[in-house]
Amino acid sequence: MTSLSNPASGPAAAPVKDVHAKVYGDLDHLQAPPVKVDVPAETQLRWLRDMLLIREFEIRCMQAYQEKKIGGFCHVYIGQEAVAVGCTQAVRHEDPIVTAYRDHGHALARGMAAKHCMAEMFGRIGGCAKGKGGSMHMFDKANNLYGGHGIVGAQTPLGAGLAFACKYMDEVIDGKKNSRVALCFLGDGALNQGAFHEALNLAGLFDIPVIYVVENNGYSMGTAIARGTTMAHSLVTKAAGYGIDGYVVDGMDVLEVQAEMKRIADKCRETSRPAFVDMRTYRFKGHSMSDPRKYRTKEEEEVFEADDPIGKLERHLKASGALSEDAFKAMLKSVRDEVRDAVAWSDASPAPGMDELFTDVFVERWGPYTGSTQPEMNGGTPNLPGTLTIDTKEELL
Amino acid sequence: MTALREIEFRDALREAMSEEMRRDKRVFLLGEEVAQYNGAYKVSRGMLEEFGERRIIDTPISESGFAGLAIGAAMMGLKPIVEFMSWSFSLVAADPILNNAPKMLYMSGGQFGCPVVFRGNDGAGGQLGSTHSWCVEGLYSNVPGVKIAIPSNPYDAKGLLKSAIRGDDPVFFLESERMLGNKGHVPEEEYVIPFGQAKVLREGTDCTVASWGRPVHFCMEAAEELAKHGISCEVIDLRTVRPLDIGTVVRSVKKTSTCVVVDQSWSFGSPGSELASQVHRHCFDDLDNYVHRVHTADVPTPYATNLEQEYLPNTRKIVEAIRSATYNL
Amino acid sequence: MPINVTMPRLSDTMEQGTVVKWHVKVGDKVTSGQVIADIETDKATMEQAVFDDGLIARLVCPEGKQVKVGEVIAVLAEEGESVDAAASAPSASPAPRAAAPAAVAPASSAAPTREIVADVKATEVRDADRVRVSPVARRMASEMGVDLSQVKGSGPGGRVIKRDIALAAENRSSAAPVARASAPAQGIVAAGPASVSAAPSAGALVQGVQSVEVPVSNMRGVIAKRLVESKQSIPHYQVSMKFSMDALMALRTQLNEQLSSMEVKLSVNDFIIRACALAMAKHPFFNASWAGDRILLHQQVNVGVAIALPEEKGGGLVVGVVRDAHLKSLRQISGEVRALGEKARTKGLSVEEMSGATFTISNLGMFGVDNFTAIINPPNSAILACGAAIEQPVVRNHQLAVGWEMAATLSLDHRVIDGAMAAKYLQGLKQFVETPTMLLV
Repeated sequence: MTSLSNPASGPAAAPVKDVHAKVYGDLDHLQAPPVKVDVPAETQLRWLRDMLLIREFEIRCMQAYQEKKIGGFCHVYIGQEAVAVGCTQAVRHEDPIVTAYRDHGHALARGMAAKHCMAEMFGRIGGCAKGKGGSMHMFDKANNLYGGHGIVGAQTPLGAGLAFACKYMDEVIDGKKNSRVALCFLGDGALNQGAFHEALNLAGLFDIPVIYVVENNGYSMGTAIARGTTMAHSLVTKAAGYGIDGYVVDGMDVLEVQAEMKRIADKCRETSRPAFVDMRTYRFKGHSMSDPRKYRTKEEEEVFEADDPIGKLERHLKASGALSEDAFKAMLKSVRDEVRDAVAWSDASPAPGMDELFTDVFVERWGPYTGSTQPEMNGGTPNLPGTLTIDTKEELL
Repeated sequence: MTALREIEFRDALREAMSEEMRRDKRVFLLGEEVAQYNGAYKVSRGMLEEFGERRIIDTPISESGFAGLAIGAAMMGLKPIVEFMSWSFSLVAADPILNNAPKMLYMSGGQFGCPVVFRGNDGAGGQLGSTHSWCVEGLYSNVPGVKIAIPSNPYDAKGLLKSAIRGDDPVFFLESERMLGNKGHVPEEEYVIPFGQAKVLREGTDCTVASWGRPVHFCMEAAEELAKHGISCEVIDLRTVRPLDIGTVVRSVKKTSTCVVVDQSWSFGSPGSELASQVHRHCFDDLDNYVHRVHTADVPTPYATNLEQEYLPNTRKIVEAIRSATYNL
Repeated sequence: MPINVTMPRLSDTMEQGTVVKWHVKVGDKVTSGQVIADIETDKATMEQAVFDDGLIARLVCPEGKQVKVGEVIAVLAEEGESVDAAASAPSASPAPRAAAPAAVAPASSAAPTREIVADVKATEVRDADRVRVSPVARRMASEMGVDLSQVKGSGPGGRVIKRDIALAAENRSSAAPVARASAPAQGIVAAGPASVSAAPSAGALVQGVQSVEVPVSNMRGVIAKRLVESKQSIPHYQVSMKFSMDALMALRTQLNEQLSSMEVKLSVNDFIIRACALAMAKHPFFNASWAGDRILLHQQVNVGVAIALPEEKGGGLVVGVVRDAHLKSLRQISGEVRALGEKARTKGLSVEEMSGATFTISNLGMFGVDNFTAIINPPNSAILACGAAIEQPVVRNHQLAVGWEMAATLSLDHRVIDGAMAAKYLQGLKQFVETPTMLLV
């Protein structure tokens, strides 16, 4: 049972090792040295709040989904909050990010206002994509979030392209070194898609500064990782095959995520080489709202819930004296208020107007195809410089 | 008075790309064998020398990968030109080119456009067999959000490709291996041809013959042949199938009352079927016969020369269709 | 062999009929003479009997549906023949060349449409009476006032296509334009409820001008329909000739003086009727009908005479028929014409008196008209339009003189009669008119 107010009090020691081994196939990350925390307390408090916001947001999404305010698919991020928060906090705001369909957490972590994200879930005009993208397609240009992509693995070549563009702009256009890197998130299920392998090959071949973050939650939908991919116990070997450095990171600890990712990103900037991260995490809920989770045991879930990244950071901050119980309660309240406001705001946001059906199909003047002979709907003349009109066209019908 | 400059189709394509790359650093070319090899069909010959390996990029045989890479780069504001050695190979990149490029702007509520040009050889090259002879316009024209140009001559190829590169939307640019060596007049001075403007290649009164790409030449031959028998054809080169300049065809059909659509893709759910449908819709009271269509046969592309010839739209089939449409059998 | 029962022609003017009620059903045994249906014509509802023995295999025409004369309404299986086989055999009846335009058959839409065809898909039946017309041909026909039912389609399956309409229009316009006032020369038959082609010429309604509506009488409707059909379907052309009338006028004066006590008063037109009838002996194609794939030379000369009706009686015109005019004397002709005219103007002519013309004459001489052209009265192949005999300067034997002359114009069906034939007929006519004593023999 996941809850904000009662984060699990501590890891259940005995079965953890076995359970982790069962899910991930090895014990690497548990054997990693303890993270050296040199992050200021206020920064840690911010990250805690960021994670709490995601969790509260996702809980309200589940509620809204059951109230039929949200349609289609809905994949919640509960349990994986440390990955989105830690990764986004490890790179610069101008570094582009692209992710898969479980994308609400990344959007919020990247800075999208909860109300814009929620309104998009609701299919309202106030959504980040005016209600035209939906749960799986969160885009935020101002925050350099390049989507939310619904097809498993489809975003992996795009991520290479984002990083390619960063490098191209440095080398061909600007002539100065901005050294941006791109973060491309993917689930462990995407490891088996052709696009992923092509993307890694190109990234390795072209020295593209893209970091592939595999949010390895142990399951592609209902299929345990070892049932879906080879070398499941050592995913980094897949990257090694493409000449790409691989890392294993504990995705249930935001401090470790941020610290490791910062190190990886810095190296990536410096060398302009891609990286591959096996980010060990766990989704506490089902794949989607309709997933009964019959493919895993209650015991396994409890072990990971005990390893809740939010509870972990909360305990750490309380132990260090940086967070009082009252302050934590105030933080919870402010998060709840923010999400409640987001829901109310989204409820109040109108549905997109019918004109939205026909906009954003093309950047240029062409509207969507209607079979009309009207130029504005079917091929007006763009005002291109140097246009040489070669046809003397009669007035269109 | 100097003679009109004539260049090959492939040279026209290269001129378009090179000129645009000179005027806009965001433009770059990637694809299989485009750089060191000088292009599998020599379209990009010499471009590596001029623009260097940062902008003329050889890729491995990895269409899904480099098509997606180009889309990501386009989302960041670059203007990639992706060369598919053959559009037949684009099928393995269907997800990026159909699911990403055309939908990105819409899905993102107008935030991210995709100014990328995919270009390459389309249609039967000549005994390439079933897998390498795709006319992808039949499939791809079904998708909203892309523009599709299918030029029939060097002049249009250059003007349309420049227009494609300058534009802000994804473009599928379909060339023909069989036409790359075709020569035609291309002026020295710069020009671009807007999308969505058909060209009337030959005026006539009895039958409107609408086509695009390589079959346009067969249509002209058919018109020539039929002129000897007193049948006057108006041949229209649509040049782009998205947008489709229905207005020009409709104006013509209102004059001729008959229409033959020639499309080298398969007939079922094709640009040809769409055009025919629109002509029926807009010219219902002007038609003297149903719109006749000439397509490739509804079979996989055969290898044998004679079978392939019969499979494709050809002058004889077009002549027969025009005769039938005009009740001159 | 299955036997087709077709819609019978039950009146002179009947073009289509309606099966009001079937008295038999599929599978019934019928014998020759047995009434099988009630059929409504344009005039009455009549019982219709079969002519053969057999079993009813199909009732093709549903009750209430209006079909053209000649169309199959039922199929009989002969003795020993299976009903099913007969029902599925293709209909032997020739497909109607062209059905009435849709606008003319409103009755069927209101009538019950219960399908009573055994084992046959409804579409097959409907297909048979469908006029296939390309969309542009339909539009052109509407704009140009061409009656589609009169146009033979040259497209696949008899589809009427653009060039068929263009041809029909061209044929129409190649004939000399006819003044509307000169039209009263047509064979008009009894006034039943006329179905009038609903195809007005484009531009018939004048924008911005106030008009008074005059209801169209049955007769006016029939005139409109017949003349439109004639002008649209018959390739008209005209040939004119002037006749010297000196001898005829002199003879007429002489005869009328001598026979006045016998109440004989010969008109110029009586002479013309007789001359026309006699000229047929050498020129049979002027007493003929175009029948699609053949020409019928009629063995009897029935000359129709256009009779204008008094305006106070609603105007209009009818054609009275002088039967066997080639066998009748001037006196007989004169008497008959006068009787027809009087009856037409008072009681009205019977169907008998108006039908059967094989050639028609329209004479506006009495109104001072010197020359005009007329529209052929179908199924005639020619009509003669006569002007007035006028005393005027003439050249006789290289000398200017005063003489009587009359202009006559033949309108001809080019499918039957060519120009040279027309010239020869006019020469023959001229011989009779200028040597009128020949008419006395």
